[in-house]
Amino acid sequence: MVASGNASRLKRMWSKKKMQNAPFALFAENYEHRELISRLIRRDLDSRFRAPLLGYSWAIIEPLLLALVYSFVFGIIVGRSDPLYPAIVMIGVIGWSLFSRCMTSTTKTLTSNASLFQFTKIPKSVFAISNMLTNLLLSFISLFALIPFIYLNDLSLNTGYILLPIYLFLLAITGTAIGLLIAPAAVRIPDLVNIIQFLSRVGFFLSPVMWTYQMLSSKFGTGDYLILAHLNPVIVPITKMRDIILNQNSDIPDFGLYIFGGTVLFFYLAGTMIFHVKSSKMVVGL
Amino acid sequence: MRVLELRNVSLTYPQSRFEKKKKMIPSKIGPIDLEFNDSEIVGIIGRNGSGKSTLLRIMGGVFPPDEGQIRLSGTISLLAGVGVGFNKNLTGLENTYLYASLMGWRRREIESKLDDIINFSELGHHFERPIKTYSSGMKARLGISVATAFKPDILLIDEVLGVGDASFRKKSERRVKEMIAGSGTVIIVSHSQNFMLELCDRIILMEAGEIVDVGDPAEMYKIYRKILHDDSSE
Repeated sequence: MVASGNASRLKRMWSKKKMQNAPFALFAENYEHRELISRLIRRDLDSRFRAPLLGYSWAIIEPLLLALVYSFVFGIIVGRSDPLYPAIVMIGVIGWSLFSRCMTSTTKTLTSNASLFQFTKIPKSVFAISNMLTNLLLSFISLFALIPFIYLNDLSLNTGYILLPIYLFLLAITGTAIGLLIAPAAVRIPDLVNIIQFLSRVGFFLSPVMWTYQMLSSKFGTGDYLILAHLNPVIVPITKMRDIILNQNSDIPDFGLYIFGGTVLFFYLAGTMIFHVKSSKMVVGL
Repeated sequence: MRVLELRNVSLTYPQSRFEKKKKMIPSKIGPIDLEFNDSEIVGIIGRNGSGKSTLLRIMGGVFPPDEGQIRLSGTISLLAGVGVGFNKNLTGLENTYLYASLMGWRRREIESKLDDIINFSELGHHFERPIKTYSSGMKARLGISVATAFKPDILLIDEVLGVGDASFRKKSERRVKEMIAGSGTVIIVSHSQNFMLELCDRIILMEAGEIVDVGDPAEMYKIYRKILHDDSSE
């Protein structure tokens, strides 16, 4: 066909993807495409906030209104008169929404960007990570809605505030990792997207959004149910954020922290490995 | 000098539950062995569904092959899906950056091509407006202007000449020809016989996911016409 010559100069286009490289490959490929990620974040923010009159203020208004509604309803039904309750709920809403949005949108990342994946060879994880960072940024902005509660309740600012972005990041990366784990299978089994959306709705009630860690430990003591509850990866970060902002200490036992750490690590490793190996193949013919 | 080679490359399309239930035969490409040299223009022809676009996507690194090996030298870029990835709320300028980034180009490279993109698209002051205010022709012009502004070492083109009105189509064809002249190796899929005969050094004829023959463009079209004729007379 064509005369051969410089075969040794040619480089292999595809090398076998090794599962064990996945946790590091995710960082490397996303760092390499950081310019595109920043454009995708700007695109998502602009599409969401450019048209509304109040623009980016919606990032603060939305959790504020949600917290006020939840606290009003629960204040009447449960009879809570705690002045800090709206702030407790708002931290829960911000934390849970971040986790839930990262998980559900990452689960759909291969199908919702299917048309793009038919012509571009950029890593598939770029879309999941840009989505995670967009949600992380919005959640961070939402924290500013707590300023009135901090001021009205005379809560002191402390050095623990520097840990808030870390807890938000842990929520975001865990949600994203669960999404990465499911996304390749969700291409062939679309029901998984519905199941995740359903679990996300159920998870709202199983997570400390309207209830607190103290309520959980007073209900279950130190029994097996309390140990099991720590498998929910949002319990520890939301509780820790509340402790920092509301100047309290929930005394999460060491085993709770270990279970949380193990759960996050498990989902991160499993999610990145499965996505790394399976995602390229799954977009063929979408 | 060889710049791209495919050795025993094959890909089977995953089947849907419906296809599996009906026990349909899965679509398959290959096994394919091909070699491409520097500065040659190669066309791929064949009927719809013969695997031309899939082969281009495998060569472009978009779809991973199930088997075989692809080796290349230099940069490779697939020109397809013009305008996919545009966001209606963003301006023409913002979409230019976004679309070019999706194609894998960096900010500095995009900035160096910006004047060229603005001039070629003929969008004028519309360039600063959200593309939801554009007509479909204007969107197509922006898409092809961005897509054809960059010149990789190996350029893969998949049916991008059918967008816009008649005059813009002619202009696009000229632009693609310029792009071809400025690129090292070009592999092109098109249903435009005149375009292919005028430009291609050789042509790959595909049928049902396999390569029927590779060779002189006029000769390949003769075989292609025979296949079409045999099929219609059956």
